[in-house]
Amino acid sequence: MKELLEQDHYEVLEVSRDASSKEIDRGYRVVRSAYEGDSLALYSVFGETEAGAILERIDEAYQILSDSSAREAYDLLCQEKEESKEEASIDANVDAFASVVDDMGQSLSLAHPNTEFREEADVLDEFEKAAGSPLDDFLPVDGAGLRSARIRSDIDLQKVSDVTKISMTNLRNIEQENFEDLPASVYVRGFVMAYAKTIELDAERVAAAYMERVEASRSAQSRGRFLGRR
Amino acid sequence: MALDTSRPGRRSSEVPFGGRTRILAIGGGKGGVGKSFVAANLSYTLARAGYRVVAVDADLEGPNLHTCLGVRNTRVGLADFVAGREDDLGKLLLETPEHGLQLIAGTYANLDQPQPGHLRRVEFLRGLRQLDTDFVLIDLGAGSQAATLDYFLVADEGLMVLQPEPTSVENAYAFLRAAFYRRLRLAVLGQDVRSLIREAVDQRNELGIRSPLDLLREIESLDPVEGRRLVEIMSQFRPRIIINDVERKEDIKLGFAVASVCRKYFGFEAEYLGYVNHDESVRKSVMQGRPLVDYRESSDAASYIKRIAHKLVQSMTETSSSGVQS
Repeated sequence: MKELLEQDHYEVLEVSRDASSKEIDRGYRVVRSAYEGDSLALYSVFGETEAGAILERIDEAYQILSDSSAREAYDLLCQEKEESKEEASIDANVDAFASVVDDMGQSLSLAHPNTEFREEADVLDEFEKAAGSPLDDFLPVDGAGLRSARIRSDIDLQKVSDVTKISMTNLRNIEQENFEDLPASVYVRGFVMAYAKTIELDAERVAAAYMERVEASRSAQSRGRFLGRR
Repeated sequence: MALDTSRPGRRSSEVPFGGRTRILAIGGGKGGVGKSFVAANLSYTLARAGYRVVAVDADLEGPNLHTCLGVRNTRVGLADFVAGREDDLGKLLLETPEHGLQLIAGTYANLDQPQPGHLRRVEFLRGLRQLDTDFVLIDLGAGSQAATLDYFLVADEGLMVLQPEPTSVENAYAFLRAAFYRRLRLAVLGQDVRSLIREAVDQRNELGIRSPLDLLREIESLDPVEGRRLVEIMSQFRPRIIINDVERKEDIKLGFAVASVCRKYFGFEAEYLGYVNHDESVRKSVMQGRPLVDYRESSDAASYIKRIAHKLVQSMTETSSSGVQS
């Protein structure tokens, strides 16, 4: 596996050099699932031993890049290496046309030929959100999910409160899903958006999923009250 | 979901893609993975969006694009061009039930020699470019014949249709490998490099060259300048992947995994364009001679096909506006 050994950690995880920690996590999950177990994509190309070697390489890359201080040291090392190596090699060329894994959920825009098509694109985009893109399982949809995403990003609740100016009480109620103690939906939505943004999540999508839970709970309750009054 | 496609396609006065006919080739290596299904439905979707589209059935040994598009009478077709009975592809166009969508059928081929020879292939591709249309979609046959590889390579976009099955994945890789080597061979000038490629194509070669990536490295060590030039050329080899007949979440991820293997093993970029889920009504739509996007336009499968069409148009609009002339 000569070529793989020559790849740098970013190439191994198929992420760009300025990838956020979230992107690195995702890259890791995507490439790892491609080479582990009886992944169909390996069929007729990579055998078990080769796949095992690649997996080892992927894990090694992730170990470095997921640790911010190790990553920093690694980046520095790469930089020095590049400066000393002026000659464009075949690797550099290969690297130049390698781009990041295409995100299936990226937004669509269309210039031509008629606006109907564009509108449809938007509708389909919405559809995709509802139907769930392949990477959806990594997006938190509830309070517990938000909390664990926050902990994974190593941000404490106080920090979220400092950045968003949302009170600790409200933040806790969001994480614990104490919907009754939260203000009107429009505020909750704003809170969740701000929270999600702070921990570098897709704010729109997280808020949409979270608000579904809020609305479901609230409408169930108002139904309950209505029935109780009868 | 309220997708209104009941309106007839509207023509735009604006000329898309700088007036250049865009050629898409739909292949996959294996038969029965849904190439014709994807070709028919993408053609229909593009026509519905207001583009002028010509769908070409290049699967001369097993043509059925006409059936998918509901064209019963295939009085003329590609076979007439191959046999030299007709030189003008424009005269082979058949109307389909959908406005703006025409067909060059693949029926009535001479089965002794169904595929055109090299010169005729060149004329065919030149003729396709000259058709007064926005899109040409070529439905390729199974296998890795020279004609099939050439259409795939010359197209502006080469689409690979895969099913989440080992047989399909295996044949797709075999096809991509064959296409890559063919492209490389066409680009090579020097005799030494040419013989190196000849050896690499034999998968049991003694140089230990297993993948296109190995080969490019070997060429570079033999001739660094030529090596760099070839890397440059081969970087334009960017097949796109569609996973058809998806039933589980794992199937969806296959596209990402295949793209990764293409990158790590073959050393080329393959973009995951999208997937289409398994849908029982596909069969019924074929029986009715109507593309699924027409027959069950609000189905999930139809939405996924439309999404693929959008992505394609979007990326082609980007490349044509970035000033690339060819």
